Amino acid sequence: MTASLLSAILDRLLPGNSEGWPAAGKLGLAPSVGAFMSRTPEGAAWLEVVLSGTAPDFLELTPARQTRDLKRLEAAEPEAFERLVVAAYNMYYTHPEVRGVIERLTGYEARPPQPLGYEMEPFDEALLVRQKQRAPFWRRTGGEA
Amino acid sequence: MTGGPETADVVIVGAGASGAAAAWALSGHGLKIVCLEQGDWVDQSSSPSLDSSWEIALQTVFHPNPNIRAGTRDYPVTDDATPIKPALFNAVGGSTIRWGAHFPRLHPSDFRVRTLDGVAGDWPVTYPELEPYFDINDRMMGVAGLAGDPANPPRADRPTGPLPLCPATRRIAAAFDSLGWHWWPSDAAIVSVSYGDGRKACNNCGPCGLGCPRRSRASTDITYWPVAIRGGVDLRTRCVVTALKTTSSHQVGSVAYVDGDGHRCEISAGTVIVGCNGLGTSRLLLASASRRHRTGLANSSGQLGRNLMLHPTAIVTGVFAERLDSHRGPFATSLYSQQFYETDGANDFIRGYQLQALRGQGPVGTALGGYMHRLPWGETHHRQFMAEFGHSVSLTVTTEDLPEPVNRVELDRDRKDAWGLPVPKMTYRLGENTRRMLSHGTAKAREVMATAGASEIIVNPLARQAGFHFLGTARMGDDPETSVVNGDCVSHDIDNLMIVDGSVFPTSAAVNPTPTIQAVALRAADRLLHRLGISEGPRA
Repeated sequence: MTASLLSAILDRLLPGNSEGWPAAGKLGLAPSVGAFMSRTPEGAAWLEVVLSGTAPDFLELTPARQTRDLKRLEAAEPEAFERLVVAAYNMYYTHPEVRGVIERLTGYEARPPQPLGYEMEPFDEALLVRQKQRAPFWRRTGGEA
Repeated sequence: MTGGPETADVVIVGAGASGAAAAWALSGHGLKIVCLEQGDWVDQSSSPSLDSSWEIALQTVFHPNPNIRAGTRDYPVTDDATPIKPALFNAVGGSTIRWGAHFPRLHPSDFRVRTLDGVAGDWPVTYPELEPYFDINDRMMGVAGLAGDPANPPRADRPTGPLPLCPATRRIAAAFDSLGWHWWPSDAAIVSVSYGDGRKACNNCGPCGLGCPRRSRASTDITYWPVAIRGGVDLRTRCVVTALKTTSSHQVGSVAYVDGDGHRCEISAGTVIVGCNGLGTSRLLLASASRRHRTGLANSSGQLGRNLMLHPTAIVTGVFAERLDSHRGPFATSLYSQQFYETDGANDFIRGYQLQALRGQGPVGTALGGYMHRLPWGETHHRQFMAEFGHSVSLTVTTEDLPEPVNRVELDRDRKDAWGLPVPKMTYRLGENTRRMLSHGTAKAREVMATAGASEIIVNPLARQAGFHFLGTARMGDDPETSVVNGDCVSHDIDNLMIVDGSVFPTSAAVNPTPTIQAVALRAADRLLHRLGISEGPRA
């Protein structure tokens, strides 16, 4: 029950669309989001606040009514809800399938920053032509070179 | 077995930016030097930047706020009474493990605030006195940059050439040019070519705050510490100092600490040097109160813990229609503007601020907003994500914070850390001068973004998770009635106690403080050697 409820909430936070973005719940993120929040006792308590704060018939509601219910909960329990959103975004945007979508749509490589990094060209000093024409304008106090 | 505690000539508390510099400067002279560090070594060769979950590390084990990170070597901070939350790291290297490595110097005028502008206090040292130590520090840390900035005094050629701009920061530079305003490539404690002992050139990966497996980005665990240890300094990690104990009204005799195995230890010291940052140093000295020093050690002035300055910062983000790939390149070190740095009588505030470019972030950072705004959840989320990811660049408005006694660090007597020490409590509010400066700077940054062609401009009026610079809580000065240490960083009250971190700043200036903290620490170590009759003048 808890996993299916959290999964349904995640589907409303990060719904799929026709561009290929998967829905977070259908991606199977409920366990990892729960684990992320439960790293600390406070986090586990916040998760419980969200799960117990949804409408009793949340799973039976239409997507639009589920969204309205979550907006109500966000207003009532902003700190707990924010923690859930942070956990969801962390797990969603590090998932390989989502990184694959980002790579396809933006060209951002689905790999960690290291060890490859990115090409680094030399600094182009021609960019400074105007600034180099400027006279020094720092305040002198005496004794400087 | 003979009894009695172990003895050292010098005990340094803290192995971060300042403690490392002081340890290196004192090493190689035959002194027995012991450094006690609360944290452990961080293996940067296995940085999370090598892992696909690197952005989760930024939100957890590498989060700058110790209350969120909650690492085993961290102490909590009571921060209910400050809008700017603490940001620090406990490890060999201190917060240089977690920093962006922006490396500007204070200006000469920053040392003469009272004389020039009639506020706060002058420093008892000057820019020319610190200049040789700035240069030594640049070589030790390894700096990329370009001499010739008209906003600053002339300086030696930088050890390595400047880091390049990217499509996003080139737009910002062009906008500054169009407005007729200053900009210059940042001095960065990141090397642009191979440098020193196995440090490779930066490869533009981006998230410097995760540590650098190439060792391109400086942190004192890879710069000062290997040399200091070869020079004989005994660096002991996982050692939490709990108190400095005095032997008379004017002498500290020993340092009490808990070692990594939980044993309570004590070491006698000829000189004690504290470098735990402007939060931890006040905490330790206040926690060292005794019958001789009822309000804390080195606190006859009552200024210990007061005058906390945090560099309040606004962030202005431009979103552009064109793809900029702004996640590429060191996050915090590309260019800055000091057009509005010095006092201008036409403004409704005194002193000034710096504008510093920040590149974009990875997918998680973009969604969470980082220093900007969190993207909305729901049906509009992905559209907003696509508009901003790789399409944004920001300017910080980093303001000079003036010292106010009500802004302070105290002990929270109701909370203790894992080692039994009272937790530090921050109390801080924005001053009116700062508010005006933030407002002015935000307007100017908006002007830059508009000139650069941003389709949307987003303002964060005050970055909350940005209390990286703890300054002023044990300020230096000539008058023992109003300051904690003298110009050589020696306590006015305790003859053999020195403080070498950002606590000693009488004023904050409007730039990242680490190069100046380290220059002050190097000079203070030099002055100690001089007092001990060992050497004179800066070490080459």
